[in-house]
Amino acid sequence: MVLFEDVHLKLASLAGEVNILRGVDLSVAVGESVGIVGPSGSGKSTMMMVMAGLERPTSGRIRVGGQDITSLSEDRLALFRRDTVGIVFQAFHLVPTMTALENVAVPMELAGQPGAFARARELLGSVGLGRRVDHYPSQLSGGEQQRVAIARAFAARPRLLLADEPTGNLDGATGRAIIDLIFALGAAHDATLLLITHDPSLATRCDRTVRLEDGRVVGTAAAEGGSKVPLGAS
Amino acid sequence: MNGTLRLALRLARRELRGGLRGFVVFIACLTLGVAAIAAAGSLNASVRAGLQAEARALLGGDAALRLTHRPATPGERGFLHRQAVVAETVEMRAMARAADSRPILVELKGVDATYPLAGRVELRPEMPLAAALQQKDGVWGAAADANLLTRLGLQLGQRVSVGDLQVELRATIVREPDRPASLFSLGPRLLVHRDALPATGLIQPGSLIRYVYLLDLHEGTQPEAFKQTLAQRFPEAGWQLRFPDDAAPGVRRFVDNMNLFLTLVGLTALLIGGVGVANAVRAFVDGRTATIAMLKCLGAPSRLVLAVYALQVGLIAALGILLGVLLGAALPAAVVAVLGDSLPFRPRVGFYPLPLSLAAVFGALVALAFGLWPLSRAAAIPPAALFRDAVYRAGGGPRRTAATLAAVAALALAAMIVATADKRLLAATFVIGSVVAFGLFRGMAGLLAQGAQWLSRHRPDGSSASVRLGLARLHRPGAATGSVVLSLGLGLTVLVAIALVEANLHRDLAERLPEEAPAFFFIDIQRDQAEAFDRALAAVPGVGDVQRAATIRGRITRLNGVPVEQATIAPEAEWAVRGDRGLTVAASPPEGTRIVAGGWWPADHSGPPLVSLDAGIAHGFGLGLGDTMSVNVLGREITATIASLREIDWSTMSMNFVIVLSPGALAGAPHTYIATVRAAPAAEDAVERAVTDALPNVSSIRVRQALDSVKGMLTAVGVAVRLAGSVTVMAGALVLAGAIAAGRRNRLYEAVVLKAVGATRSDLVRAYLVEYGLLGVATGTLAGIVGSVIAWAVLRFVMHADWTPLPAVTAATVAACALAVLVLGYVGTWRVLGAAVAPYLRDE
Repeated sequence: MVLFEDVHLKLASLAGEVNILRGVDLSVAVGESVGIVGPSGSGKSTMMMVMAGLERPTSGRIRVGGQDITSLSEDRLALFRRDTVGIVFQAFHLVPTMTALENVAVPMELAGQPGAFARARELLGSVGLGRRVDHYPSQLSGGEQQRVAIARAFAARPRLLLADEPTGNLDGATGRAIIDLIFALGAAHDATLLLITHDPSLATRCDRTVRLEDGRVVGTAAAEGGSKVPLGAS
Repeated sequence: MNGTLRLALRLARRELRGGLRGFVVFIACLTLGVAAIAAAGSLNASVRAGLQAEARALLGGDAALRLTHRPATPGERGFLHRQAVVAETVEMRAMARAADSRPILVELKGVDATYPLAGRVELRPEMPLAAALQQKDGVWGAAADANLLTRLGLQLGQRVSVGDLQVELRATIVREPDRPASLFSLGPRLLVHRDALPATGLIQPGSLIRYVYLLDLHEGTQPEAFKQTLAQRFPEAGWQLRFPDDAAPGVRRFVDNMNLFLTLVGLTALLIGGVGVANAVRAFVDGRTATIAMLKCLGAPSRLVLAVYALQVGLIAALGILLGVLLGAALPAAVVAVLGDSLPFRPRVGFYPLPLSLAAVFGALVALAFGLWPLSRAAAIPPAALFRDAVYRAGGGPRRTAATLAAVAALALAAMIVATADKRLLAATFVIGSVVAFGLFRGMAGLLAQGAQWLSRHRPDGSSASVRLGLARLHRPGAATGSVVLSLGLGLTVLVAIALVEANLHRDLAERLPEEAPAFFFIDIQRDQAEAFDRALAAVPGVGDVQRAATIRGRITRLNGVPVEQATIAPEAEWAVRGDRGLTVAASPPEGTRIVAGGWWPADHSGPPLVSLDAGIAHGFGLGLGDTMSVNVLGREITATIASLREIDWSTMSMNFVIVLSPGALAGAPHTYIATVRAAPAAEDAVERAVTDALPNVSSIRVRQALDSVKGMLTAVGVAVRLAGSVTVMAGALVLAGAIAAGRRNRLYEAVVLKAVGATRSDLVRAYLVEYGLLGVATGTLAGIVGSVIAWAVLRFVMHADWTPLPAVTAATVAACALAVLVLGYVGTWRVLGAAVAPYLRDE
């Protein structure tokens, strides 16, 4: 589903160039769930941005769903996201002036799918917000906002779901409920799942864990014990 | 309290360290409105001061006495010469001719050796006036406006004929101190010696001749006492006496009207700016929610918080007002520099504290009326907003005290607008109109938002997401729909109204009047020339309808026995008593007469004089059937009873008389004839030549030429008026720009999130097009309708002119508005479209 080949990303900063990704190679199979772990600044979120086409790599190749996204224009990337990718951010990133229902319906509307609002209502019901469809983000709690974001991410039936620290802004119990929801919906939609987290216990719920350090993949491990490459190896 | 204030000051100062970013529109809104009002007031003060300083020169002396048709009697002259040094002048219209060119109507003026008593006649080449006019080798001299020479194709030194007199043109007039201050005249000035006039043969009984006696009162003679003595000694003289305080009434009326217009435009701009002020204060308080909540968490009472933010807003408002006052004080100098010598006097540009202070007070009241309400929300922000500020935004409302204070400021503003205006009724209408317009546009904004909500809910399934996004932006919380529709709509309304009034007047002058009005007015046809006049016309092909009526000038002196100076006369009827009027006598109703009250007298009426009066003037005089009106004709007062009222359509420029008297009322008075002639444009030269060749004393007024002159004046004034009016649209655009700038952060974030979930740039562009397109079209349409209603009311009730809806003018203005909103909106969101997504998502 996802193929990274020697992906580099350098960003300019006041202190000079910063190498954020230094030759990432990664392959994710269709339907697989992968947990990406690593310390702060290791490049996890950037890897997700690049995978979603929100950021362009400096070099290397990225194929998602068989499509090389490194050569796509900005608008083609938007269409690629619309049709292929669902994203859940740590900071939710809902449009504050849209109701929960409108936030969820937007990707389907953009894709010109009929029945966008009916499906949005259904999705909000499935994340337990059936009674709060007309609320604005500011009227919802953090957990509720994240559930709206999850419903939005699944709205256009994406083949790839990217979740970047989806529980980072939530308390423990709410966070667990959110993760359960992501896995349940992921399974229901047969989506490939990439979960970025700094919490190893969450990552272990995935089929495989990939560890990133200083912009490089430093290890991958199968969820049930048998490490292909021991985590922590350099 | 002192301690609280000190603390508030300290905290406010710290907050202001962040600079004035975000307040640019706030300051600009106040500056623009205050500057417009201050400039109008200062300019008016400069012009008035200039008028006052040169009043004596403009009048031509300490006093001016004017008689129509007759010179002063030896008794009257003797009295005047005992009281004052007298310059005797004579003014009339006449045809000037050169050998080969067609005759030209001139404003002929004969002056004596004493003239001018004040100021100086400047000639080119420079020479004393006496030298230019004196008789040399049996030929009188003359000075003329340069354009007379051009039009007649003459050089200085050549001769021109006026009636039977030939004069030598010796100089052109550069400046004539007491030139009647009007924006247009029927012809160029020709200045000759008074003693040369009899030789013209134009001094005929009943001819329209004005004898003006300019007086330099002897020391110790008080104007008021002089006026009373004059009235007692010569109660029936029928002269018009003017003093320097009324030196150029036409200019003063024009300047007063312009001042009123500019002040109202300035106030409109200021009121529109008020919307920008409210928006800016709201955005300011919203932006400080966290700081305010934090201050409250740390124990700051609401009163202190309010003081901190009120001080900041007050300080910034004061800066905006100060800038406006400074700009307004400087503008008149620029205007006077541009106007140059087109005014008959020099305005005294200077520092006039009164109009400047007035503008500052208007600015302060607008800032209070519009700023207090949103500002008071600072006091209502709960400490918990530190954690959930967005929820507060939905629920926080203004405090009752602030709302009351804002209402008091609004009332004070309304009261001041009315109290400081010369025309209170008009000012009160403006205030009421503003309130209605505010309500209308606010309501319209609400309807637009609701309509957009309904549409986005009921749109067909699967229709464009961009359309729904665009529609949604019009009704979502925090949408700028209300303030943009209100501010831009009001500004545009003013511009539409001005454009329509101007276009209607132009249409009248350029299309309707040339078709409907007669081609010529011929004046001063002597009684024994009537047949010769008809014969002369009969020989010319292309002559249409000819109307001829006996006429003589007279002044209205009493209404129901009350002298006109003491009578109460409505402003719209004042013109009828300002100078002398043409009177006529008719046995039967003139053709086309529409009697609206009473009845016409029998054709053989021989009883006491009766009068048929224009209904509008009668209404303005407060007179009805059976009341009496006295007119002074050639020193004889005739009192007539009103027998009927007529409705006159003045807009056709046909021959109409305000006053028609019954047969015999003017018996023995030396009347002349006035005639209107309709003729094809191609026949005009032939008509003029036929009449003036046969009757050299008759003056012809070419209507088309006079209309062109008015049109030229209207175009010049129109440009100035439209320029001034565009200030209101500038204010509206400022508010729009402010709203776009205030919403930019939200839009940027929205665009980023939408791009992250798959929106392309064209999706976003389409959404903006829908949003701003609808906003522009809806605002423009309503402004078009309201502006048309205002234009109709102004034309119909203020200018008494015809109204024709001109959809092209309205549509062009509306289209320009929609386009401007689109462009402004697009420019404001252009950067949003190109924004890279990742940094924003990462920063969050």
